[in-house]
Amino acid sequence: MTLLRLRGIGKEFGAIRALAEIDLTVAAGEVVGLMGDNGAGKSTLVKIIAGNFPPSHGTMIFDDQPVHFSRPIDARSVGIEVVYQDLALADNLTAAANVFLGRELKRRLGPVTVLDHAAMNRRAAALFQELKSETRADDLVRQMSGGQRQAVAIARTRLKEAKLVLMDEPTAAISVRQVAEVLDLIRRLRDAGIAVILISHRMPDVFTVCDRVVVLRRGSKVADKPIQSSSPEEVTALITGAKEAA
Amino acid sequence: MSLEMTAGPPPSRRVKLPPQLLGSWEAGMLVFMAFLYLAGVLINPAFFGTTDAISAVLRDTARFGVMAVGMTFVIVNRDLDLSVGSTLGLVAVSFSILFAPTHLNLDAGTAMLICIGLGLLVGLINGLLVAILRVPPFIATLTMLFIGRGVVLGLTGGKTISYEIKARDYGFFAFGETNALGFNNQILIFLVFAIAGAVLLAKTRIGYETYATGGNDQAAQYAGINTRWVRIRAFLLSSLCAAVAGLMNVAQDKGVTSQYGQGAELIVIAAVIVGGASIAGGRGRVLGACLGAALVVLIDKVLREGVPTTRVIDVGGVKMEVAAMAQLPPGAVPAFLGLLLLGAVLLEPVVVRGNVLGRLKAWLLRQEAPASHDSGGIAIVGVKTMGAASDARGVGLRGFRAFLHRRDAAAIILMVVLWAAGFWLRPDFWGSLDNSFNLLLAFTEIGLLSLGLTYVIANGDIDLSVGSVLALSGAVAAFTMKELGGDPATAVVLALAAGVACGLFNGWLTAKIGMPAFVATLGMFYIARGLAAWLVSGRQLSAFPETYNLLGRNLSVVLESFGIHATGTFAAVARAVSVQTLFLAVVAGIAAVVLGATSFGQKVYATGGNERAASYAGINTQRVRLLSLVFSSLCAAAAGVIYVAYYRSFNPAAGQLRELDAIASVIIGGGSIFGGYGTIIGSLAGAAVITLIRALLSLQIFMSDGSSFVMPQHWMNVFIGLILLAAVIGDIWLRQNNIVSEWKRRRQARAQARHDTRATGVAA
Repeated sequence: MTLLRLRGIGKEFGAIRALAEIDLTVAAGEVVGLMGDNGAGKSTLVKIIAGNFPPSHGTMIFDDQPVHFSRPIDARSVGIEVVYQDLALADNLTAAANVFLGRELKRRLGPVTVLDHAAMNRRAAALFQELKSETRADDLVRQMSGGQRQAVAIARTRLKEAKLVLMDEPTAAISVRQVAEVLDLIRRLRDAGIAVILISHRMPDVFTVCDRVVVLRRGSKVADKPIQSSSPEEVTALITGAKEAA
Repeated sequence: MSLEMTAGPPPSRRVKLPPQLLGSWEAGMLVFMAFLYLAGVLINPAFFGTTDAISAVLRDTARFGVMAVGMTFVIVNRDLDLSVGSTLGLVAVSFSILFAPTHLNLDAGTAMLICIGLGLLVGLINGLLVAILRVPPFIATLTMLFIGRGVVLGLTGGKTISYEIKARDYGFFAFGETNALGFNNQILIFLVFAIAGAVLLAKTRIGYETYATGGNDQAAQYAGINTRWVRIRAFLLSSLCAAVAGLMNVAQDKGVTSQYGQGAELIVIAAVIVGGASIAGGRGRVLGACLGAALVVLIDKVLREGVPTTRVIDVGGVKMEVAAMAQLPPGAVPAFLGLLLLGAVLLEPVVVRGNVLGRLKAWLLRQEAPASHDSGGIAIVGVKTMGAASDARGVGLRGFRAFLHRRDAAAIILMVVLWAAGFWLRPDFWGSLDNSFNLLLAFTEIGLLSLGLTYVIANGDIDLSVGSVLALSGAVAAFTMKELGGDPATAVVLALAAGVACGLFNGWLTAKIGMPAFVATLGMFYIARGLAAWLVSGRQLSAFPETYNLLGRNLSVVLESFGIHATGTFAAVARAVSVQTLFLAVVAGIAAVVLGATSFGQKVYATGGNERAASYAGINTQRVRLLSLVFSSLCAAAAGVIYVAYYRSFNPAAGQLRELDAIASVIIGGGSIFGGYGTIIGSLAGAAVITLIRALLSLQIFMSDGSSFVMPQHWMNVFIGLILLAAVIGDIWLRQNNIVSEWKRRRQARAQARHDTRATGVAA
């Protein structure tokens, strides 16, 4: 079942063409690795899907509905969640507050509506347990390890029934042991029927968890094939341009 | 503080490194200045038509120009030095005290050397605070401004010192005189500083290091530049220049008043920014700053000189026409200079980069507007992982120990301790109803200001204008009742509206335009106070309707005005509690619930903690920041309304230095100058701490020998400034970086390492 379908998506910044005519489909429960050199257009593509800015042209169909996002919140409201490279966490707040940022649980207390911290803590704790993370809901984020911070950012995507999760270099700045944790988290998302687009520079990560690999080079898609029929060598050649297309 | 303004593509043509001596920017300024002077001649030929005027403008430019040379280094470094005016005053006063025959009676050379040393000391303190202790420059140097001003007032006692007769014997004073060639020697000094500064910044390694540090501090560090020293050096240079300007001032006037250098920082900073430097650092030229100084001084002169008019006066029934000058009232000029500063800051990012002229032309010619820069939305990149800080302080603790780990615990404990200290010092007086009433009153003003500031500081912004907005609101209320004959309700509404307008202006500049909050509110700091002085023509207004004054009375007076006479305990309470205290309680209650328990409060904290994360989460961070700044100004305006009611009069100096008290309250109460923290309870406790410190310092202490002692107000302001600095430094190093546990951890690690080596030694 196709979840996301991009047709002829392109983006120009002034005279600079960042993306040209990208077609891409993602099925529900599929993990797609998005690879490419710096400046290949990965980030631009992800930002368009995440609603950070609109494409210059092309159409986007999500869940059989044509969609136009102008702000990140638009994308989130249809079920697209993003785990940003720097995780986009507010260090001064607790893990639970970060998970619920922008969609806090509230209860009425007489004439005023107040935050329901207890419910948010309970719900966040349940999410962390589901993700098999040791993160405590009422800890401040600034006191957490890299893996715990990842768990907070990923727990955020589980809050509402997300259908597609975009992950931008989730393993770039963490230790080897924590990489394994993050890859486990991605598998758990897939098992729950959620599609994942994983942007990564790390070949082993992509070949461990992805079902399909898409390679961009200079703003164009040069490969889109199942992971079994490719190899790290081939992908490297595609990224660098040693091999034109596959 | 990073700036969005720097993020865009660099303008390709105008930045040339190493900077050449004179660019198109400077040429444009010269043309503008010529036009301005011509306008001055046309409006006021009696003054601007003479050569005296040119030499007066040049002479005044000389002092500000010398300061602008030093300031250029600071601003190119992406720092700011608000203390230059204060340093000028401090040096001028110190010189006078050292030299004057009525005081220490030293010779001019010694006094000059000591003063230069004093200037360098101020620069060193600024530099150490900013570069080593990492206090944001605006807060460090603003506090130094207030401390310096307090010391000046404390030293002079507000009096004038003059030594015209003794000065005749010393060659030093020739520096301030007109020489044989017909121009003032100060202009020569200025030329020397301008050329030396220009060569230093444009052609030497020192200048190159300065541009590198301002452009990208981290990259400069990686390149092996000691950026801490570069920044300290700039502050030293700036203070040195201010000291020289102070000496030039006394050499000219052969005396000093406590007003010397007041507001000079505004002219100097505006000069440097007008001269083409960027508040975002990395750009600026000495010659531009010097021309900027001339331009700003010229504007200042045009504003101060006034326009000649004729006025009809009535002398004993006979109408006479007399020549008069339509002049701005004293204190009003800063309103224009503040606007000029904000305009200069906006000039480059909005007008030049935003291509306003191009778009205006297209609009006039009905063509299609040229495309504005597509900044590419919000960047996803920019890793900001703090890493593991495994010290989970205060988690899982219950009861008192959990309380101790709250950020506002220190303020609450301090409040109790200080109150007890007062009781111990003056048991006869401290607990009395009178004293409690006075404490609550003093607390109300600081508390009210700190409520709004809690939101602003939690947002990661700052509001330096609260004291000035208080004055403006008070002026509006007084003006409405006195000059317009409005009733009290109209006065209150207009005063609060003035506050909201200030807040909207601050918020628009900060949240929408992207100007750093400290710059926008610094502009408002001058604008609002200038407008206040203008409204009341620099005079004190009093005698308002008694119904208005009830806003500042205690409850028993209010009740009696309604014909109710309280009795018993209720009467005692009604005498201690005033309307303003109740008002504070209500506003504080609402503010506390909104900040602590609603999603708006959560948005405030999230915006202050990580603005980008907050905006990804769907929070309209611009709106949150704007509303916080408006709330802050509204609180200040309410304080202004109460001020007038309580004192039954309005004085243009209302609320001066109050920003210091209020910022200190919020920081002591658990707020962080970097945003993301702060509670209403904590800020109120902080306000109580400040109130109690002021009350304790002004206590009349009876010595055992029967004499008594009261600390003068000026020294108290110095003390509060020191407390603010201590609070900010304490927050940065104890709360944020947790230096104590870091130190413990290192000591343990060292002990462990020693133990290990001993163990392996035994094993071997």
